[in-house]
Amino acid sequence: MREPEARRRPAFDHQTTVLGGELVDLGGALRRVTDFTGILPRMPVVRIRRRCWATILLLPIAITCDRAPARRAATRETPTRIVSLNPTTTEMVFALGAGSRLVGRTHWDSYPPEASAVPDLGPGMSPNVEAVVAARPDLVLLYASGENEPAARQLSGLGLHVVSLRINTIAEFEAGLEKLGELVGEGPRAAELVRQVQSTLDSVRRATAPLPHWRVFLPAWESPLLAIGGGSFLSELVDIAGGANIFADLAQPSPPVSFEEVLRRSPDVILTGPVDAANILASPRWRALRAVRDARVLVYDTALVARPSVRMGAAAVSLARLLHPVPRS
Amino acid sequence: MRRRAVLLWGLGLVAATIAGLAIGATSVPLRDVIRALSGVGDPTSVSIVRAVRLPRVVLAGLVGASLGMSGAALQGTLRNPLAEPYLLGVSGGAAVGAVIAVTTGILPVPLAAFGGAAGAVLLVLAIGRTAGSLGDTRTLLMAGVVLGAFANAAILIVLATAPADTVRGALWWMMGSTAAATSFDIGVVGMALLLGGAALILLGRRIDAVSLGTDAAAALGVRPESTSRAVYLWASLLAAASVVAAGLVGFVGLVVPYLARSGGAARHRGVIAASGLIGATLLVGADLAARTVRSPAELPLGAVTALLGVPFFLAQLRRR
Repeated sequence: MREPEARRRPAFDHQTTVLGGELVDLGGALRRVTDFTGILPRMPVVRIRRRCWATILLLPIAITCDRAPARRAATRETPTRIVSLNPTTTEMVFALGAGSRLVGRTHWDSYPPEASAVPDLGPGMSPNVEAVVAARPDLVLLYASGENEPAARQLSGLGLHVVSLRINTIAEFEAGLEKLGELVGEGPRAAELVRQVQSTLDSVRRATAPLPHWRVFLPAWESPLLAIGGGSFLSELVDIAGGANIFADLAQPSPPVSFEEVLRRSPDVILTGPVDAANILASPRWRALRAVRDARVLVYDTALVARPSVRMGAAAVSLARLLHPVPRS
Repeated sequence: MRRRAVLLWGLGLVAATIAGLAIGATSVPLRDVIRALSGVGDPTSVSIVRAVRLPRVVLAGLVGASLGMSGAALQGTLRNPLAEPYLLGVSGGAAVGAVIAVTTGILPVPLAAFGGAAGAVLLVLAIGRTAGSLGDTRTLLMAGVVLGAFANAAILIVLATAPADTVRGALWWMMGSTAAATSFDIGVVGMALLLGGAALILLGRRIDAVSLGTDAAAALGVRPESTSRAVYLWASLLAAASVVAAGLVGFVGLVVPYLARSGGAARHRGVIAASGLIGATLLVGADLAARTVRSPAELPLGAVTALLGVPFFLAQLRRR
């Protein structure tokens, strides 16, 4: 409609200066930017001082920039109020004898039993930041994942000491426990625990070394079918306990696998938790597996084996007994 | 919109904002909330109110206003009450970008989401233009819907092959949330709302003409093509900024313009402005519900908007 008229208008005077101040030819700039969008004829010609324009643009930012950095504590003392939003680290904190300093855990932290007395702050993934802040922690332990990154950033921004740990392998467990020991001022105890776990694992490894290593399939989830892969401590424990994870070559902790691939790799033994074992035995498709037909579906104690913890030595012993039962004498 | 309705929604926004600042996973007495807002009092309360709740409330309000205005402008221009801000591919494109970014970690999520949204919108507009004039809304709607289906397929393939521990993060992104509101998010949406909101309101009269039909618009001296193009771009910018900051929050952009029109607004200038107000009110309220109903766990904001919005919508529909 009136567009042609606008195009006919004389070119903008871009050089105008008024009262010695810096002037931005905003109308001209907007006109050029929005020319193709067609709102041009209605756009009033605005000339605004640069500073003023910046203020308008930055206003929404300014609203939240003013965050209270009151507790950006410079010195880090031994924490007395710990929030642990990861069942594994909660268990570690208790093992280090610092359980009484916990002021928050996730909804899922059930071990040790004393953990249930710690206030439940909800989920450990995408945690409720407000609930964490309200617990007034001086140390926040998070599970390190992309999903938790925004929360970690938010909490750090508030001056809280946030440590994100991802513990999938035995080596990560040892490093994590030692780091945690240092953080909570229980370094020697952490080192001792790590040594104990290592020595138990070593003795299990020695005991099973001469025994035949069964080819083991560890389903992590049934639908979609996920296997325990080489990136999981459980795969390492099976290796120590005298088995060989058929998916140890996959680097993820729990990679998706196809059922055909499981058939192809033809495990001697299936090692799983009680619920999965019941499903597997009830389902006709699993009967295609030699291990199922020969009733070699072994059931481990989920509570003991499911998480990397200071009880990994005991877990390895129990797995070794499952894989290599010795006749009671 | 009638003055009374504006007043009611305005009061609603004020009430929702106050409730949003005062209620949360932890209880902070109202008096402490007010003191905390100005930075005095217990440092924990100050942190909770100023650094956790305030950015959320502000972001929810801005996102709600953006989606509401975007939806109102699109419904008018497309002459279709089923039009919504994500219609032209914003949600699909942004979701593909974000899901790839979340599961692979190769790009910052906001950047990937915005890139995806912009790419999808430009593609839809290009299809609309090649297939005929942009004034022909059917081609455009088809292009948007088909691209959405394509994006869905791409998302499913990415999710099916992604590492299991990243899938949840991607799903959460798609369900929408203001939980991690940062000043960057607020800046992005605030700026988009400032520019896009103003542009759409300024376009209001031309949308009035276009909404009467192509011929009527031409007779009134309004070029439907350039008006439509401007509305599509500005409305999509608003939607894209919202998506970048808060993920996919559905339903607001669909139902809010209807509420604005049933509140008595007839001309698009009024409908668009009122939709901004109503959208802000609804989303601040929905966000409050999302984080308090099952506290300390959070519900997905995108689902709560529909849960709260549908009864509203049905009540209005019955009254008609």
